[in-house]
Amino acid sequence: MTLNKQEFLISSGQRVQTLEFWLEQRWLIPTEAASGAQFSDVDVARAQLIRDLKSDLGVNDEGIDVILHLIDQLHGVRQAFASMRAALDDDSRNV
Amino acid sequence: MAKNPYDVLGVSSSASAAEIQKAYRKLAKKLHPDLNPGDKAAEEKFKEAAGAYDLLGDADKRKRFDNGEIDATGAERPQHHFYRDYADAGDPHAYTSGAGFADFMDSEGAFADLLRRGQRARANRRGEDLHYRLPIEFVESISGATKRITLPDGGTLEVKIPPGLVDGQVLRLKGKGAPGAGKGGPGDALIEVEVMPDRRFTRDGDNILLELPISLTEAVLGGQIRVPTPTGDVTMAVPKGSNTGTTLRLRGKGAPRRGGSAGDELVKLMIVLPKSTDPELEAFVENWAKGKEFDPREGTL
Repeated sequence: MTLNKQEFLISSGQRVQTLEFWLEQRWLIPTEAASGAQFSDVDVARAQLIRDLKSDLGVNDEGIDVILHLIDQLHGVRQAFASMRAALDDDSRNV
Repeated sequence: MAKNPYDVLGVSSSASAAEIQKAYRKLAKKLHPDLNPGDKAAEEKFKEAAGAYDLLGDADKRKRFDNGEIDATGAERPQHHFYRDYADAGDPHAYTSGAGFADFMDSEGAFADLLRRGQRARANRRGEDLHYRLPIEFVESISGATKRITLPDGGTLEVKIPPGLVDGQVLRLKGKGAPGAGKGGPGDALIEVEVMPDRRFTRDGDNILLELPISLTEAVLGGQIRVPTPTGDVTMAVPKGSNTGTTLRLRGKGAPRRGGSAGDELVKLMIVLPKSTDPELEAFVENWAKGKEFDPREGTL
């Protein structure tokens, strides 16, 4: 499911300025469609994470930048692990 | 029976609001599922702590809980979607970064080989996101444009530049990346737009700065002059007695903001004398007594 900007603002409860800042920082990269930005489930969940970091955990903007960068790398590594597991499964089937 | 929220946060029932927040943050930093993507148990523990904090972090709810008007059940948060559930779903997305292991991938050897074969073996794999750089003119970044990228395979990709775009902004075109395998679907094209410097305009946030030469006559007597803006020339009044460094504001002629409004263009005037000295001007200045009394460097030397 994708949301347009208006729907995203309503569902996330964020202010326009806050979202603009997040977009500027490239913390969120929505899909650009002819009708404007489209936010998918992964964008919505990421926005929730940013909100948690900011309000629940008291992380400042600089910290969020660092945390997101590291989390993105962590997921990259997890996907690489998943790939290798798939290769090993493949091997054991072919033996 | 839900646990006592004071026990969950590990604080006494007389704890201050600041102590409660501190205790919750300490737990949340450790337990937040997105900070523990591989720990399935983290979610339950985090929800418990978050539920307890919802109750005790709100002075009104806490009072009602202390008075026995409400209990710890129902303190659970509404459905919470954690980022890890999507980030790890197996569909690559715009945020995944290979920066943490790219060096392993590039090297030769069993490890890299396994990784590469594994990526092929994953059925219904979504296509890779393809990254492009797109240089555009400054004026295009302000007024928007439609550009074409020629792809390595000879195809083209049409990119709509939204008005007001900033240097380095990334546009994501869904489904325009590499084709996927099985039902995986194609990846996205991620286009980093580079705004080339302009010889006239520079940008400062939503405002556009322009240095504009004016003649001595225009500076002393004022007048109407033509001023370039990224969306075409406009006429501007130079007030009498303008100086080098005088900055005039053209409202709404800056970069468009999301939401319809726009920044301003700030025009900084620069007095430029004619290239060859005019004898009449020279004679005038020679006889202009007040000009010799005025010291523009007063206080700086």
